[in-house]
This record gives sequence, structure tokens and C-alpha cells, in this order.
Amino acid sequence: MSEKIPALEMRGIGKSFAGNQVLANVTLTAQSGEVLALIGENGAGKSTLMKILAGVHHPDSGEILIDGQRRNFERPADALAAGIAMIYQELSLAPHLTVAENIFLGREPRRGGLLKAIDSRRLNAEARRLLEDYGFRIDPQIPVGRLSAADRQLVEITRAIVEARRVIVMDEPTSSLTTHEVEELFRLIRDLKRRGLAIIFISHRIEELEEIADRMTILRDGVAVFNGDWGSISTDEMIRHMAGRELKEIFPPRQTTIGEVRLRVSNLSRPPVFSGINFDVRAGEVVGIAGLAGAGRTEVVEAIFGAQPASGGEIELNGERISSSSPSLAVDKGLGLLTEDRKRTGLCLNLSLSTNITLANVGSMLKNLRLQAKSELKTTQGYIEKLNIRPPFPAMPVGRMSGGNQQKSLLARWLFAGSKVFLLDEPTRGVDVAARSEIYREVNSLAESGAAIVMVSSDLPELLGMADRILIMRRGQMVAELAARETTQEEILKYAAVEEG
Amino acid sequence: MQELLKRFLPFISLLVLCLLIPLCEYFVLGNDPKFITAGNLAAIFRQTAVISIMAMGMTMVIVAGGIDLSVGSIVGLTAVVGSMSMVATGGAVLPGIAVAIIVGAVCGLINGTAITGLKIPAFIVTLGAMGIYRGLGLYISEGNAVVGLPQSAGYLSELNLLKVIPVPLLLVVAIALVVHFALSQMRLGRYCYAIGSNIEAARYAGINVWRYQIGYYTILGALSGLAGAIETSRTVTGQPNAGETYELNVIASVVIGGGSLSGGQGTVVGTIIGSLIMGVLANGGNLLQISPFIQKIVIGAVIVLAVTFDEYQRRRLNNAEG
Repeated sequence: MSEKIPALEMRGIGKSFAGNQVLANVTLTAQSGEVLALIGENGAGKSTLMKILAGVHHPDSGEILIDGQRRNFERPADALAAGIAMIYQELSLAPHLTVAENIFLGREPRRGGLLKAIDSRRLNAEARRLLEDYGFRIDPQIPVGRLSAADRQLVEITRAIVEARRVIVMDEPTSSLTTHEVEELFRLIRDLKRRGLAIIFISHRIEELEEIADRMTILRDGVAVFNGDWGSISTDEMIRHMAGRELKEIFPPRQTTIGEVRLRVSNLSRPPVFSGINFDVRAGEVVGIAGLAGAGRTEVVEAIFGAQPASGGEIELNGERISSSSPSLAVDKGLGLLTEDRKRTGLCLNLSLSTNITLANVGSMLKNLRLQAKSELKTTQGYIEKLNIRPPFPAMPVGRMSGGNQQKSLLARWLFAGSKVFLLDEPTRGVDVAARSEIYREVNSLAESGAAIVMVSSDLPELLGMADRILIMRRGQMVAELAARETTQEEILKYAAVEEG
Repeated sequence: MQELLKRFLPFISLLVLCLLIPLCEYFVLGNDPKFITAGNLAAIFRQTAVISIMAMGMTMVIVAGGIDLSVGSIVGLTAVVGSMSMVATGGAVLPGIAVAIIVGAVCGLINGTAITGLKIPAFIVTLGAMGIYRGLGLYISEGNAVVGLPQSAGYLSELNLLKVIPVPLLLVVAIALVVHFALSQMRLGRYCYAIGSNIEAARYAGINVWRYQIGYYTILGALSGLAGAIETSRTVTGQPNAGETYELNVIASVVIGGGSLSGGQGTVVGTIIGSLIMGVLANGGNLLQISPFIQKIVIGAVIVLAVTFDEYQRRRLNNAEG
């Protein structure tokens, strides 16, 4: 067993972008029938390494072997031809095509004859059979653009499985999936293992990897710092390898005095997405909102912020009723929303870090209509230091920074805007462990300084660690409120889970 | 390195053209280089002034992620309306210029409102507006040039300050300074880049996006109205066909100068250089006795090249993000 040729071997891979060494002499092996967990902080080089495997980037040095054969991938099609398939973090489906068309894109079954027309009937039938086999309840004939993020992810997975013959790479495939769907995915992965595929699984969630990983490779700053069997080192050691330092406490304690009500939401509704939402948040309090994907959590905070106004109900800020009909009104009143999708609704990717940080409070830097460049620079440097934003360059386009640092820059935006009520929607999605703990520390110090915080998260340990109270949403309704200190993941899930059938 | 190249490419191209044209004149045609005479350079500035003025406004609109195809038609409409006002008031030139600018601003306001209010792509709205404004100018003037303007109407384009500096050039410099200041150091400009870079992110940051967008279109409209007044002054008549195909040259100036049609990028300095490149190409073409039809082909090719280069840069950057 131990002497068999690995399905995939990457040897001594090195890669630089514009003089920055992103990968240095990285070696990685994936055996048939095994799940290799590839872990590391954001910016450690995982995505670059996988893009090299996919033929998107060319390595400066090193070689790739498939079943012991040296292969050279000039373009993505070469990698695909060698049996390597990818599931990208960023979805890469064509929104106007149907589910079935996407799954078989470029490999459509054809009818005979001169025209070689696409055989739509067979296309749909095969797609339906595949989806049913995998236990995904998705209609193959509807356009992908109409699916939820989670369903789109499932379509992407299905497509990759169709393509993969030797190696399948899953880059954070679970980030938008519900617990139930994650279970389905894991069942599928076990099935793929039996079929002899090598699976590379990238994830930030160690608890999740626990269930399926056989071996692991840990990357830090472009170097493979650990290769070994899963379970051969403890979680603490893994975190230490990833961060390169000890992380004593992920959830630091805070000392707050709970003050008066800052935000009160009464009977907020926008049927059929959510209705009858009631809750309040006091100064110094962190209120978590739990629920499965699609339960309406994001929609509720977006309604409070005015980005997608509710059709009924009231919102009071500091006892004053506000009409939340647009984000600009909400920001004026001291609300800040850290959105769930930072690339779509958060950042101006090609603009500088400092522009992004100051965007919600440009007015405060004006003097006689003129932006004060010095005060902007000073402000930015202040937040770089406070939140440990790396690299510390105010003029750097924020699109070139890692996910964790992007998230910190958005948090800095709302700090600078002087928000009193923070709505944080999945504040640590796609954020590495070190940046997470910095975000948590900042949230704590905000609470200590009397801000009111609403935290929507799918990461239950995070909610349990950070929130004072946890509200649970299910199908657009608020179904329970639990004190974070007295509850468990199991109890939250019991309320959050949608009864089947 | 790539970014430096991108930033200076328009400038380098302009320099190369300015060297190449007199050299060709001398060695190929055997003439004394006319290109570098003061008279010729002044003529280039005078000819490009109208395009440059409109391109300043277009820079804002394009940086904010929009586009306006109706600017040429606004020139025609405001040329007609402005000169009719001059005739009707018995020769009041300045109020006539003001009328042209105001009518232009209203046209821009309508464009901006339709784009943001009806949520229709700017390309479509302004394509329609291009027909509407041109048709309106032709209808009001019954298709004829408005005549009977006072001689003083010509001053706006003919007058020279201190006998050497043409007034249109002065206007270009003044407007360029103001727009440059606005784009680089005012809230208006900051939001312009933010909206063009990611309109949703700008909205979620609390920016009143539609109000600013309407503002940019209105400014562009007003500048197109001023361009209409200058065109009127050049011929001392109100031509309903004034400004035809200007939209192409205006947009090309912005794009050649490094403005990105996908928004979030572009500068006043770049646009000025872009419009000078276009002007120098046309002028040099004439001096070198190249057919104006060939010139059209060359200018079209330059636009495609500029956009290709921009796209290529973007792709490189995106890939490097890893």
C-alpha cells in the first residue's frame, strides 16, 4: 500500500508575482482514494498552488506528476485533460444557462447527423440522474442565475465530479452550504474516495476537516510547513503551524456594562422572506443571529440598514424611530453594515486601502470642499496599526490584499464612520485564524466602548464564543432566543433546522 | 512597472508623434517642418478645444462607470438654441452662451435621471437621447442654420488673450484645472471613482449614488452646451448639425488617455493627452497629405488598441491576485 505511486505529486513548486515570492519549494502529494486537507491562512499560497495545478498559472520552478508521469500544463484545458477538476471558491458558472447546460458545458451529448446538434433531452436526463444520485434537489432545467448561492455551489460540485478522473480540488466548497448539504457533500466525497480519486480539500473549518481528511499539508507564507497524517498533531499544533505563533485564546473575554437599548426592531417584515421580526440590542451587547442558509438572516440586517427595505415594521435607533429606506440614511444615523459578500457589496477592489477605509465618512476629511490628504493618511495609518492590517500600505489597491485584511479594512471603515450600531454579517467568512482573532478583539473593544453589535454567523463556535444572546431564525421567523453562555451547538441546531417533508 | 508603463504610455505616444511628424515632413516630403510653428500649434489647440472641454466632463462620467453618446447631439441642439436666443434678444451674446450651457445641463440632467431613475443602461438611454436631441435641434431650426448673429458672437473662438493665447485654449486650461481638482481632491471626485469601481459597494457605504451620478451627467451636459456655444462662435451661425460624431472623439480621448470603460479609472491629465493625440494625428495627417479617410481608419484603430491595452492590463492584474 505505502509504495504505490501517488495520483498527484507536486514537487518543489516555486512562484513569484512581480518580485513577490508567493510559493517557495512546495511539495505536495495526494494518493488515490484519499482526502488531503490543504490548510493555511489566507495569503499562505493555497489558491495560487491550486491555480498552478489547474494550469491557470505556470510555476517558475518545480514539476507536476500525475500517476508518476511528468505533466506540463500550458492552459486549463491541459489540466482538465489530465483528469484534474476544480471547484472554485468564486463561482464560475454561466448564470443564463440551465443547471444541466452548465454541468455539461463543453461536453454536451450530441445527436448524430450533419449538424451534431445538442441532444437536450439526453442532456437534461443525465443531469437529473447525476443530481439525484448525489442527493441534490435541484431542477436541471432552470437557469443557474435563479438558484441560491448554496445550490449553485452544488451545481459546481456536480460539474467538477463529472470532469474529474484523477484529482478533484475543492476550494472551500462548504462556505455557503447548510449543515444538511455539507453532510451530502461528505457522503459524496466518501463515494469519490471509493472510486479511487484523490481529493484535495481546502477549508478553514478544522471541525469539518476532522470528519473527512486523511492527510494534511499546511502552508504558511508560501512554504509547506507540515505534511502528515490527519490526527498526528493536535488542533493547537495545527493553528501554531498556520499562524507561526501561539494563539492562546481565540475568543478573548470582555468586560462590558450593558446599557440602554440602542437598536429596537419591531415587527419587521418583508414576506415571504421574513416576517414579524422583533428584537433589541443594548449598548455594550453582542447579539448573535444563527440560522441555516436561506433562513433570512442577511435579508433582515440588510432591511435594517435600508439596503433592501422592509415592507412593514419599525426600527428605532437610540429611541428615535427611523425610516430605513436607504443605506445613506442609515449611515447618517450611525449604523454600519459589514456585508456578507465583501467583493460584491463591500470593497472598491481597484481603489486604495485608504480610499476604502474612509469611504463612509469622506465628509469628515473635508476642509473648504477639499479632501485633506494628510489627515486621510494619518487616519489610515491609525487603523493599519490598530487592526494590524498587512501589508501596511495605504496606497495599495485593496483587491491585492488577503481576505482577512480586506475584512479588517471594512471593519475600519465603520469604525471611522463612527458607527454606534454594527451589523456584522458573517464577519469572518473566508478569514484566516489570526485575522479572526484580531476581528474578535476589535468587536470586544467596540462592545466595551458602548457600541451595540449584531453578529450574523454560520459559524456556531464563533457565535457561542462572542455573543451574549443568540437569536435563531428559521424560514424567515425568529424562533428562539438563547443565552450564549447556557446553550450548545446542538440546541441551536435543533431550533435552526428545518423540519424535513 | 506595468502600471508605470500604462500611466506614461499616452504621454510617450504624444511625444513620439510630435517628433515623427516634423521629421517626416522634412525627410519624406522635403518641406520645412510646418508642424512646430506657433501658428500650427495654436491651430491644434483651437481645433481640439471643443473636444477637450467635452472630454473633461466625459472623464467624470466614464470614471463613474457610465457613458454618454448624446454629447454630440447636445452640441447641435445648444448651438441652435443659443444662437436663436442671441438673434431673439437682438445680439446679446453672453446670455446666449448662458442659454446654451443651461440647455446642455438640462439635457445632461435628463440623461442622468433616466439612467438612475429608470435603471436602464447608460448606453441605451444616451443612444436614444442622441437621436432625440439631434432631432429636436433640427426640428426647432427647421433644418436650417440660424443666421443673423452679431459679429461679436465670434469672439469666443477667435479672440486671443494678449494677442497669442486663444480664448478656447484658456477655457480648456481653466476647466481642466477645475475638473482635475474636483476629481482628485473633492468628495465629488472621490465618490466618482468609488461608484465606478463598485457601485454596490458605494451604495452600501452610504453614498447617495444616484444623486452623484445625475450630477456627473449634468456637468457633462453643461460642458457640451459650452462646446455648442464655441461651435456657434466658430461659424457665427447656429448649425443644427454641429457636433456630429463628436461623441466618438470625446470618448476616444478619455479612453486613449487611460480611462477605463468599465469605470473606476481615468484622469484629467490623461484625457487632455488623449485629445491632443487625436488632434495631432489629424493635423499631422493633413500636413503629411494623408487622405482624411485614411486618418479616420487610423483613429479608429488607435481606439481599439487603447481599449485592448486596458483590457490586457486588467487581466494581468487579475491573474496576479492569485
